[in-house]
This record gives sequence, C-alpha cells and structure tokens, in this order.
Amino acid sequence: MNTLFRTTESPFLQYLNQPSTSDRRRRISSLPVRIGLGRSTRTGLAKTTTRMMASSSSAATETVGREVLKKGIADFYDESSGIWEDIWGDHMHHGFYNPDVQASISDHRSAQIRMIEESLSFAGVPEDSLKKPKSIVDVGCGIGGSSRYLARKYGAQCQGITLSPVQAQRAQALAAAQGLADKQVSFQVADALQQPFPDGQFDLVWSMESGEHMPDKKKFVSELARVAAPGATIIMVTWCHRDLSPSEDSLKPEEEKLLNKICDAYYLPAWCSAADYVKLLQSLSLQDIKAADWSQYVAPFWPAVIRSALTWKGLTSLLRSGWKTMKGALAMPLMIEGYQKDLIKFAIITCRKPK
Amino acid sequence: MRLLTHNMLSCNIKGVTNGFPLRLEVEKFVEKEVDFSAEFLRNIFPKIEWKALVDASRSMGYSQLPDEADSSMLDSDDFLKKFHHALLELHLEEGVLICPETGRRFPVNKGIPNMLLHEDEVFVFDGVNLVLNYHLNSTW
Repeated sequence: MNTLFRTTESPFLQYLNQPSTSDRRRRISSLPVRIGLGRSTRTGLAKTTTRMMASSSSAATETVGREVLKKGIADFYDESSGIWEDIWGDHMHHGFYNPDVQASISDHRSAQIRMIEESLSFAGVPEDSLKKPKSIVDVGCGIGGSSRYLARKYGAQCQGITLSPVQAQRAQALAAAQGLADKQVSFQVADALQQPFPDGQFDLVWSMESGEHMPDKKKFVSELARVAAPGATIIMVTWCHRDLSPSEDSLKPEEEKLLNKICDAYYLPAWCSAADYVKLLQSLSLQDIKAADWSQYVAPFWPAVIRSALTWKGLTSLLRSGWKTMKGALAMPLMIEGYQKDLIKFAIITCRKPK
Repeated sequence: MRLLTHNMLSCNIKGVTNGFPLRLEVEKFVEKEVDFSAEFLRNIFPKIEWKALVDASRSMGYSQLPDEADSSMLDSDDFLKKFHHALLELHLEEGVLICPETGRRFPVNKGIPNMLLHEDEVFVFDGVNLVLNYHLNSTW
C-alpha cells in the first residue's frame, strides 16, 4: 500500500501498514528472531519457521490494529448517533450547497438530500423503470438515511451494513416506522471489507462518507466491485487529502500533523487522495471512472455543525453523550482548517462495473 | 431478519467457497403481517434462490412451499400467497445463522444479523503462504 499510496501517518498506522510482498520480505529479515528453536541451526526448517513466525507476528500486529479501529468506530457511532439524529436528523453526511451561501438551519436537511441527488446525477444512475437499480447496497449505512431514501426513490431493495449495532437497530426501527422495513430495506452489522453478500448482487453500490473509515482502501474498493452486478454503478463520496503533485512523495509534515489529530478524533485510518482511488478503480478494470472535488459545495457544513453544537440543546446533549462524542465535536474546527488549507477534499468518485 | 434478507446473505470467511445459504437456528421468531403485492413478488422471484428459501422457511416451521418453483407458478394466487408468507412474513428475531462450510455461527439479535468476522477468519497468516510457496517453487 505504501508504494501505491502516499499515505499520511495516523495514530493507527503503526498497526495498519500493509506493505507489498517485497516490503514484507525486507521487513521479515530485519525483525528480531524470537522463537524457541536453537539459533545455531540455520537449516531449511529453522529458516522456514523463523520466517513464518516473524511474518506471523507482523501480520498479528496488523490484525490487532484493525480490530482496535473497528471497535473504535463501532463505539464512536454507538455513542454519538443518537445525539446526531436528535439535532440533524437521519442523514449523517454533508449537505450540498450553492457556493458562498450562508445556509440557515432549515436548509440543511434539503442540502443533505440534494447531496444524494447530485451524487446520483453525477454518476448517471438511470431513472427509467427498466434500467433503474432494483437492488442497492449502502456501505456504511449509518442509521439508514440513504438506504431509505434510495429504496423509496427507486422502489428498490436496499441492504445496509454498519459496524455499529446501535445504528443498525435504529436504522431498522426507523424503516419500520416509515413502513419500509417489510419489503424494501434491511440492515446488518457487517464489515465493509468483508461484505456478507455473494458476488454480483447489487445494481447500485453506495458508499456515502464511509470510505474514510476503511483501513485498506484496496480491499474496500475490491469489495465494492465484487458485490456489484455487471453494469452496476458504484458511487463513493468520501473525505480525501489533496492530490500530490508529481514532485511530491508525501504530504508536508504540518499537513500530516493536522490530519493525524482528525484521525484520532474520528477513528480514521490513513487518508488517501482522490487520485489514489481512481488508480484503484482503474486497476480493477472498472469503466466510466469519474472524480470531482466538491469541497466548495460543502463549505457551509462544518460551521453549521459547530453552531448547532453551541446551542443549549447541543451543549447539554454533548455533555450527556460521552467523551468520544465530545472529542469528535472538539475536532470540528480542525476540519474547517483542513478545508481552508486545501488539504482536505470532499470527493466524489464513481464508475461502472463492466457488463 | 426476514427470509428475503437471508436469501442475500453469505458467509464471507476468507477461503470459504460454499458460504451460501446459511443454515438457520431459530430461538425466537415472529410472524408479521405484510401488505401483499403480487407485482413485488413477481419482480423479486428471479433473484431468489428457491431451495435456500424453502429450507429456511422449513426451519421456521413453515413447510408449505413447493420444493421447486418456476415462473409459470407466479400466475397462481395460492402460490403467490405462500411465497409472500415465507419471504416476508416470517421474521427471525433471535437465533443463529450457520456457515454451511465451516459451521461458523453468526448471531441474530433483535432481528439484526451480526456478520462481523473475528481476526483469525480474515487474515490468512503469511507464514503459511510463504512455506507453501517455498515447497512448490523452491523460492521465497
């Protein structure tokens, strides 16, 4: 991954480096050997076992880190979904605004809906009754806002997956309350990196602001492609860092530092750029690949969230919710800083699975 | 979890080739009445793995589905009603979904399946691959 991505350092990166095979071999030879076999024997068996144990321990460290991250994400959303829903409603994503507009609080919900519609339009998802999607997967579904919206819009089946049991329950309850649960939407607790579906199930594969949580971008994108049916549309809307210029190997140290703080608050692994995603999609032979920077259309969002947190209702809810949520709230100005410095980009990347 | 959902879930443990369909172990299920829509049933029928649906509904105590079905049966009201009942009205609230290949148990709580894998089911330790490769190709 390090050879493909110019990734940022992140608090989880010590666990989550996933070197290429050649990197791994170099790494193995430099790891201290700590096994019960006598060090005097350098026969084939000892060498084999040495390498096996050393490689296992690096693999084990990586796996532990992933588990820590997944639990962190699940706990974060278990804790904070309720307060978000209370103040902002059931869409846990940015709104899409006309640039340079000061949006009032009542505009935000329609902006969040507009975000969904603009994304579908950008990707060119067909609307006519023959070609429109009939089965949809919402990867990182939150409390199901997108799932319910898309299911209703297309009259389609929608499956949502999330790491957070609290979110899955809430999503199900909201669907039932809205008369959708029985036929059209259902939710599972599952990992986007190991989606519990057979290949080629879905006409529309939807990932709205969940990609930033994925520690293995390649696996994430591979799974999106795997569960997509031939001809399906894949839509990713996600937080990226700026594309690197050809002369750059990595982000500047102060940029990495800023992203690190954000990673810590929101349980994010290393960031990548939109260009990195495009390369991944190309490597999987996906077609019609399109990417755009929508940062200018989401600019009013974080200031609005901060304002909502500073209301009486916001402050009291935060104090009641828990430390993870509060830490997340305190990190919001960092997001604004990141956008202002042209470091953080709000990206949409879409493509089609070949027929 | 209704059987429509069950029909779309499979075991995703690395290396498993036969992860569908998941067997059901029922601890608590309910029957919920759902509005009947013949059009919906006709549209969804081609996507349904029929045998998986029959077996799953039997484990919920409903054995009225025919062993085999083809699209000509969609003209029969009687068939549609049984299909509707099995697909949409039987809900597993508490129980287990079991991988047919590995026996791995995925819990269902309050109607929601938890398909998260454990660490060792995700990461095939590199050491195994390295050794195999060495023996097959005499190289690392």
